[in-house]
Amino acid sequence: MVDQLPNRGRETEMLSQMGFKSMEDLFADIPAEVRFKGDLPLRGPQSEEEILSDARRLLGANLALGSRPSFLGAGLYRNYVPASVFQLVTRGEFLTAYTPYQPEVSQGMLQAMWEFQTLISELVGLPIANLSLYDGSTAAAEALTCAVRVHNRKASQPNTVYVSALTPPDKRSVMENYCQGAEIDIRTLEHNPDGTLNLEALKEAAGSCGVYVEQPNPLGVLDEGLTAVKEIVGEHTALIVGVQPVSLGVVEAPGHYGADIVVGEGQPLGSPVTGGGPLYGIFACTQPYLRLMPGRIVGRSIDVDGKEAYCLTLSTREQHIRRHRATSNICTNETLIALMGAMHMALLGPDGLRELAQRNMQACQRAKEILSETPGVRLVHPSAHFNEFAIQVTGNAEACLAYLDANGITGGFNLASWYPDLTDQILVTTTDQTSLSDIEALAAQLALWTTHQEVSA
Amino acid sequence: MSHLFGHNGAENTGYSQPEGLACATKPVVPAGLVRQQPARWPRLSEPEMVRHYTWLSKRNFGIDTGFYPLGSCTMKHNPRVNEVIAQLPGIADIHPHQPEHHLQGLLSIYYEMQHMLEVCAGMDQVTLQPVAGAQGEFTAVRCIQEYFRLRGETQRTKVIVPDSAHGTNPASAAMAGFEIVEIPSRADGRIDLDALAAVADETTAAMMITNPNTLGLFEADISAASEIVHQAGGQMYYDGANFNAILGITSPGLMGFDAVHFNLHKTFSQPHGGGGPGSGPIGVKAHLAPFLPGPLAARREATPEERTMAVDEHWYHWHQPEHSIGKIQQWHGNAGAVIRCWAYYRRYGNGLTTMSQHAVLNANYLRHAIHREAKDAGVDHLFVDGAETEVAKHEFTLSMQPAKDALGISAMDVAKGLLDRGYMAPTVYFPLVVPECMMIEPTETESKDTLDTFAKHFVQVLKCDPETLHEAPITTPVRRVDEVYAARNLCLRHPFEDA
Repeated sequence: MVDQLPNRGRETEMLSQMGFKSMEDLFADIPAEVRFKGDLPLRGPQSEEEILSDARRLLGANLALGSRPSFLGAGLYRNYVPASVFQLVTRGEFLTAYTPYQPEVSQGMLQAMWEFQTLISELVGLPIANLSLYDGSTAAAEALTCAVRVHNRKASQPNTVYVSALTPPDKRSVMENYCQGAEIDIRTLEHNPDGTLNLEALKEAAGSCGVYVEQPNPLGVLDEGLTAVKEIVGEHTALIVGVQPVSLGVVEAPGHYGADIVVGEGQPLGSPVTGGGPLYGIFACTQPYLRLMPGRIVGRSIDVDGKEAYCLTLSTREQHIRRHRATSNICTNETLIALMGAMHMALLGPDGLRELAQRNMQACQRAKEILSETPGVRLVHPSAHFNEFAIQVTGNAEACLAYLDANGITGGFNLASWYPDLTDQILVTTTDQTSLSDIEALAAQLALWTTHQEVSA
Repeated sequence: MSHLFGHNGAENTGYSQPEGLACATKPVVPAGLVRQQPARWPRLSEPEMVRHYTWLSKRNFGIDTGFYPLGSCTMKHNPRVNEVIAQLPGIADIHPHQPEHHLQGLLSIYYEMQHMLEVCAGMDQVTLQPVAGAQGEFTAVRCIQEYFRLRGETQRTKVIVPDSAHGTNPASAAMAGFEIVEIPSRADGRIDLDALAAVADETTAAMMITNPNTLGLFEADISAASEIVHQAGGQMYYDGANFNAILGITSPGLMGFDAVHFNLHKTFSQPHGGGGPGSGPIGVKAHLAPFLPGPLAARREATPEERTMAVDEHWYHWHQPEHSIGKIQQWHGNAGAVIRCWAYYRRYGNGLTTMSQHAVLNANYLRHAIHREAKDAGVDHLFVDGAETEVAKHEFTLSMQPAKDALGISAMDVAKGLLDRGYMAPTVYFPLVVPECMMIEPTETESKDTLDTFAKHFVQVLKCDPETLHEAPITTPVRRVDEVYAARNLCLRHPFEDA
């Protein structure tokens, strides 16, 4: 701790210059009845070496995904982030800056975020992107409340939004927390047995304030039907599409098939999975949503000499100006992770993104090919997938995953955690980091699992 | 200038990828979903990309660059070992849905951090799930809302905030559906108990307040305020933005609060990263604990079989509170930020008290130094304290109104003058209750020499010719940026003029 406090040993000198005798004088305004008695009952201070050693021991007890074949995704995706991203993002000028309230000395981050807005805007096919929300779930939730603010007056179903039934319950729960204050009714959009959106049932959502669907959907399915949604729901209902951003290297940008708002977990571009955070939420929209959208946004401007300069703009939507009438309470966001995203996107370029998307699809395709020939395993949805897909296994999925785990494989995500009725389905995720031997190991163990099940049956 | 979108090498990519896996049949995107036009992203090689971002970094000011006395933001040094730790595969490459036996290290660190924050705040249960201070506020207010719903007290629809509160307080409460009742501060910047008593009633769900308040003053009447709100049946909410002033000295629990949020990116040094990420855990008293978002880290004694995988004699596991409000973020919070803050906590341990003492020492020292230097230079009539007080806590406010009246020098002019002298400017025009406010928070990681020199420069700025100061800054990468132009001529992305 001494190494963090430059004025250790100078306390008396500093106090006497102020006319004080002791440190206690500085706290004389805190009444005795609210004062702590004695020392904090916590452990003693440690040196950097000791902390690093403990961190290595404790974090070493976690099982890193990359230490063995892993097929766990379900919203977060293992990827390769090039080394230069990590090297650059830890430059102190980026790492240790605050929100760029003083634009004259924050041009670097402001320009980087303006470029990020452009990269995202191009990626999703919409004209406006903010400089990040917390994660994909809060971005989706804020999109719903934004849609209600914009459409409520003309909506034939005011204060109502529709959300895909496949939306993971944890994400749906975030939506409910964010929407309940504005008394927004969240209804559910049904899907067909093949995993695609039920376009007939969707008609019910016409005239509501917004619909939320994902592409690829939470089961990894690429749903061509989503291109028809905007026409069905009409111009006064926001089409909100959640995306896996890497997929947009090969899959059409939702802005090109009618999406009004695009959100998503930015993580696969630029950030490791990191135990689920920090991530960054993508939020992009069309013009009518601009002045009622959440979050910070950078504009290009000029300085007094007419020189190109950047600054935060449209801040009258935000809490520090508008207080309880703000469009959102967000203040701290995920700028640095968005910066990692921007760096990764800049490195990839359009061709690199397409290749990365293709690698994800090829790994997925190879896994589907191998697992479809694995005894006791059935692919649940016949459709095209991006980088994950559901399989049905023999017997109970939870037991199957435990078996795979005991045999050195992180087998995927138990879909019963999302959809309690599906007790024998696993969501298998592959990415650019999945190797053929990983897939073969999974298939071999699944075949053994099937054999065990048949023997014991 | 270096422009990202000015790079268009015909074949360039900054990262050449290995071949994808060979498939029996080529994977195809459904015909109607094939991307028609690629994103107009730039084409850069790695050297070009590295140089672009290095150039940008040089046009940005961080704590590493220089003194950053941005009030309310607690811009303290960010120890670098924390960054090394956060990149270990045991945190960077783990997934929140892995089974508990894959995550014993993470769970034990979560447990340790929950416990540490509970001890420091005098609360019974902490959750690390909220990812920012404002999200912590929203989470706690939601818990209070559900607590009253379960008790049938649905008439409690109002949240009281002082007019000096951070903007996030009213914004968070409004987002949860509460009506905001703002009460004025007293002339000396402190809470007005009469004004509070006049509005606290059976419709009050909570009062949100920070202590020390946004003027850097300790609210000595805090226990009385808590009593007024509790008498009315409401809950007391502590905004932990200013927690850096009081660790080990007092606690929200001792002051009578029921719920609190922490800004780990302030108090525990998660780097601010130009605006985020942060981490905004909340702590609550036992009666609110059943409503917290799940999961929480919990522990029990490890069985002999578990011992082989355990990090100590305990088995750590996730726990779902009984009446949980559900999730406010999809995963388990900003785990990477929590790990950095854990490393920061370990640096101090029970010495966190010393950390807060030094934060307060530095703030008071700087306040005195500025007044002393100003007096010596004959410019002490150009500003006054934002509030009268013997001692400040971790930050203090100055009102530049006299300078404005006498010379036309605004708080913003002074801020820009400081930029020219190599400093980040203090927070300006907040809190709103102080006219022409400058809010200064040096933090404990600045040396006496830095504070002395800053005080001299502050006074130098005041001695500048006002016309010169209106022109400031002149040494920065760009000069005063036209924010009105930005709003009137919205340009929110690269225009692709050639397209």
